[in-house]
Parts: sequence; structure tokens; C-alpha cells
Amino acid sequence: MNLPFKELLEFFTFSEPNVQVVFWGVLVLSSVSALVGCFTYLRKRSLIGDVIAHSVLPGIALAFLLSREKDPFQLLIGAGITGWLSVYLVDFITHHSKIKNDTAIALILSVFFGAGVLLLTHIQHTGLASQSGLDSFIFGKAAAMRPQEVKLFLIIGIIVTIATIVFLRGFYVMAFDEDFAIAIGFPVPWLRVILSIITVLIVASGVQAVGVVLMSALLITPAAAARFWTNKLKFLIWIAVCFGAVSGVLGAAISYSYNGMPTGPWIVIVLSLLAFFSALFAPQKGIYARWSHNRFNSRKILCENILKRFFHLEQHHPEKRDYSLVEILSKLNLKEAELKSGLRLLVRNDKLTRTGMNWTLEEVGRTEAREIVRKHRLWELYLSKYLNIKEDHVHDDAEGIEHVITPEILKELEVLLKHPETDPHNREIPY
Amino acid sequence: MAIIEEVKNPVLEVHSLTVVYNKQPAIWNVDFTLPKGQIIGIMGPNGSGKSTLLKAIMGVVDANIGYVKVFDQEIEEVRRKVSYVPQRQSVDWDFPAQVKDVVAMGRFATRGILSRLNAEDKEIVQESLKKVGMEAFANRQIAQLSGGQQQRVFIARALAQRAELYLMDEPFAGVDASTEESIIELLNEMRNHGKTLIVVHHDLYTASDYFDWVVLLNTRLVASGPVAKVFTPEILAEAYGSRLTTLSKVADLLAERRFPMRHK
Repeated sequence: MNLPFKELLEFFTFSEPNVQVVFWGVLVLSSVSALVGCFTYLRKRSLIGDVIAHSVLPGIALAFLLSREKDPFQLLIGAGITGWLSVYLVDFITHHSKIKNDTAIALILSVFFGAGVLLLTHIQHTGLASQSGLDSFIFGKAAAMRPQEVKLFLIIGIIVTIATIVFLRGFYVMAFDEDFAIAIGFPVPWLRVILSIITVLIVASGVQAVGVVLMSALLITPAAAARFWTNKLKFLIWIAVCFGAVSGVLGAAISYSYNGMPTGPWIVIVLSLLAFFSALFAPQKGIYARWSHNRFNSRKILCENILKRFFHLEQHHPEKRDYSLVEILSKLNLKEAELKSGLRLLVRNDKLTRTGMNWTLEEVGRTEAREIVRKHRLWELYLSKYLNIKEDHVHDDAEGIEHVITPEILKELEVLLKHPETDPHNREIPY
Repeated sequence: MAIIEEVKNPVLEVHSLTVVYNKQPAIWNVDFTLPKGQIIGIMGPNGSGKSTLLKAIMGVVDANIGYVKVFDQEIEEVRRKVSYVPQRQSVDWDFPAQVKDVVAMGRFATRGILSRLNAEDKEIVQESLKKVGMEAFANRQIAQLSGGQQQRVFIARALAQRAELYLMDEPFAGVDASTEESIIELLNEMRNHGKTLIVVHHDLYTASDYFDWVVLLNTRLVASGPVAKVFTPEILAEAYGSRLTTLSKVADLLAERRFPMRHK
């Protein structure tokens, strides 16, 4: 498949005036949605975006039926009213009936969406000339955005952004600990209303670009993806906004370059790829980071166990210094391949040297081996002294713990146990 | 014989307070006053309305009947002088914040929702962390804290408010012995500086060591008074023993038949 470089260049150089309109519209909608989405995400109300998105549909249809024209501002008012009503109803049902929140969400979402589809069908049957394109609200029509719509989105984006920045502290405390926010006198009921209003505003606008079905992805996915990368609110917001902006622009570029490709779905696909990438490769929380951490641990355990084996070999056969694979492998619960890879690692780190098919412990390795045995035996002693565990039950525990003990804890153990000479099995503790 | 001691110039006055959850009263017609400058334990069995009482005092839940006065005023007038420590488990600790961010929330009580924290605020945050022995953890992610450390952070947040009256919901729940000891030491020090501390607590064995005054609750008020007077076998049996069966039958009826507690 050839990349449509010509079209991509056209898009990013704004050579067509229409491209510029779409660019700014999508950029504002996707980045401001991400900003607001951070707080719906942190308040664990991720599904509320979905409710609003589906519930703006009847509002749009009603506004059209009343005004008989496709004025974006009027459509937005209609969308805002039913969107707001849906949030209010979900809260009302949750608080005043036995119906739980998730059920209320499912009920309201489907009732409003159903009503919306009915109204749209009715509009189609009336044969109003300007109705063409109204049903594109379901999947969005970003590529067909008009300048007057984008102007409206810009204004809304600015209002929502300013409101979020002004009330940032309120939203933040409320998301973490709502009772405390009330206790310190924050106007929590008002903050809830303001957050709902800005969510409704941005969702009602965004629906016009990516459609009802995909809008909640625009709201929640950036925050969820950003959470992998940071533990700080400020960074969370910035990363989420960047993810939103990048996927918005890329989605629009792709759909512009491949004729006939829909914009909304492409935005969501780029966004999902970013989220997937985050889940895989984010430091610490990503799957790769965890995998490599586990690999580091199991390598450490492997090498330390081999070094420990050399310590024992040198004790039992002090007459020789180099040992064969068979000698090393006996008493080690390892497969030969594992042992070989461990030996290779240890040779590479200059803890062992290899001559032919024999391996010798180097001084660095010997010091480390003694330290591991010391950790093992001190831990055994600690268990039997402080946890009253019988001598024949301490070994297995120490086999695992010896690899975790840090130099600081080792020192602590030495002081606590007063530099003991022998372990519970009366074996010498090497210092 | 019931002991409900009234005090003059109370720091807190609870008057005929009733709070209803789902038509079922969580606290029923509770009426007491509390003295200034003491450590006061709120005690009672599970589900006896201890947390609800604190929330009603703070205005976190609405009183259905009755009122609360703090420093002889409405809570809204004196919020800056009152600090509330919710139950540690009531929040999700996997939240993007560092220890110092949570403690800084205590300063928002003074600074409000808009104005920036200044150098003095930051100093107070540091000082509060130091008092609970968490200064080394200022930049730690709160998700990485142990239960005892979470509790210390919550107390540091309360200290940062520089309040006069502290309401703490189960500060000793699920913390290790050394944390419990250092918290009670801190509470004593605060009391000696003239602060009043109201603490929801579970453990009857430690209560008489920890508290000067005890309020015993079992949906209704059982007793309120100096710990020595309240901690008699009879009164404790009344609080922790069987519920008043007629009262709970009526409470169940209210919920079942959806009757209002009062009518006009």
C-alpha cells in the first residue's frame, strides 16, 4: 500500500481552506475532551460520557424540528438540554430509588438514544430539504465541518478550558475525597454542577465530529492512557491533552488522505493505539516494564544460586578450584540450559572464568557468594530466634528471602543478632 | 441509670439530631454537649451511627431533624476552626497524588478554591508531615503507602488546617501498634495545646486510657460523660448488648411502610 504523501502534505500545509477548518475543529474538540475526561475518569464516572453522548441525539433532532434549520448553535442548545437532563436523571434515579448506578446508566442511555433515532427517522420521512446529514450525528462527520460550527467549538473549548483551570483545585479535591471537600467548605454541589455542564458542553460539541457512539472514547481513553505514564495530576492532564490532540489531528489527516475514510473512527483508532502502546511500554506500569523487571529478578536469583553453589563446592572440595558442569549442576534444581545461561552471565560479569569445560570462581564472585550465604544463614537465625520457627523449617524460607535482602537490611540483621558465629544448623556464618 | 452529662459553654452541641438513610434512622434523636480541650471518644457497636454522627456534624450528610452547633454557631460559619478526618478506606489511594499534595489539601481550608498556596503554607505542610513522622515521604506516591502511613498522611492533612476542633473517624483502624501509639501521643499533645479532639474508636480495652470523655452510641444516645463515670458494666452492656428490640422494630416498620419520621 502506498502512503498518500501528496494528500498528507496537503493536509498539514492547509493548502485547502476546508482542511484548516477541519484541523482546528478536531484539534479543539479532541484536546478539550481529553482535559475534561481527566476528571470524569478520576471521579470514576467514565460511563457518564457515554450517557451524555447518546442522550444529545433527541435534543439535536428536536432542535431541528423546532427551528427547521441546521444552525449549529441551536442544535447545541437542544443537545445540551437533553444531555444535561440525562445526567440529572441518572443521579436522581441512583439516589432516589433502589436502582443502582450502572442500571440507571443503561436505562437512560437506551431510552434517550431510542427516542433520538425515532425522531431522526421522523425527520427523514418529513422530507425536509436541509435534513440531509443530520443522521451523520450517529457516526460523526468531522470532515464535513463548516466554519461556523468550528467557530462555535472554539468558543466552547475556550469556555470549558477556562472553567476547568479555574476550578481545577475543586475538581481535584472532590475527585479524591468528596467528604473532605465538603468539610473544608468547598461548594461541592456547585462544583458537581459545573463539571456536569462542561462535560455536557464538550460532549454535545464532540458528538458533531466523531458521533454518538465514539464520543466517550474521546473523553476517557486519553486519561486512561495517560495514567500509565504518570502519578502526578499535572502531568496526567498534559499527557491526556497531548494524546487527544495528536489522535484528533492524525485521525483527520488519515481520513482526509484516504478518500472516503470516516474521521471519527480513525481518531478513536489512533487513540486506542496510543492507549495500547501505553499499556505495553509505559515505565513501571507497562507490561514490558513488569516483564523486564521479572526477568531481572529471575536472573538475579539464578546467578546468586549458582554463586552459592560455588561457595559450597569450594568448601567441600577445597583441593580444586575449577568445576565441571556436572559438578555444578548436582544439588542445583536447574535445567542444564538454565545453568548454562546463568554461567554465561556470570562469566560476562567477571564473577567466574571459564577454561575449557570448567568454571572457576573469581574473587568478586567469591565475595558475593559469601554474602549470599551470610544472608541465608542470618535469616535462618532470625527466623528461629524472633519467629520461634523450628530449625528444620527455616531453610526454605531463607532460600527465597536471601535474594531480597538489601545491604541495609543485612547490616540491620548483623547488628540485631550481634554478629553471630553460626546459624541454627551450627554452620559457620561467613563474614 | 443513664449518664448524660451536660456541659457549660460546650465546644459542640448536638440537639435532637436524627439522620435517616433510606427511610431507616441511622441516628435517632441524639442530644448531648461536649466540653472543650478534651479527647472525646465516640464509641458503640458496628452500625451504631458513629460515622454518620461525624458526617452530620460536618454537614457532609444532612440532618433530617434537629441541629448541630459548633462553638455556638452553625458549622458553615466556623468551618475554618473545624477539621475532619474521614475513614482512610473511604478514598481510593490509587490516585495521582504525592503525600505532600494530600497534606496541602489541608491548607485549601484556609486558602479556598482559588488563591495559590504561599511559602508559609508549604512550611505548614512540611511541619505537619514532620509531626506525624512522614517528612521523609513527602514526595512518595500515595499508592505506595501502607495503611498506617495512609492514616498518618490523613492526620497530617488535618494538622495542616490549624483547626481548634478535630473530628477523626476511626484513626486507629487497621494501623500497626507503633502508629497507634504515636497517634495517641500526638492527640495528647494537641489536647495539651487546648485543642478538642473527637475520635471514633472501636477498642473498649484502650478507650479508658485514650479518652477523657466518652459518648456511647447505639443509634440512640446511651451515655455521654467523663470516661470513669460512663465505663460501668451496666452502661457498656446497654450500649453493646442487645438492641432495644421495640426501637429497632419501629425503625424497621418506618422503612418497610415508608412512613416519615415526622409529619407537619
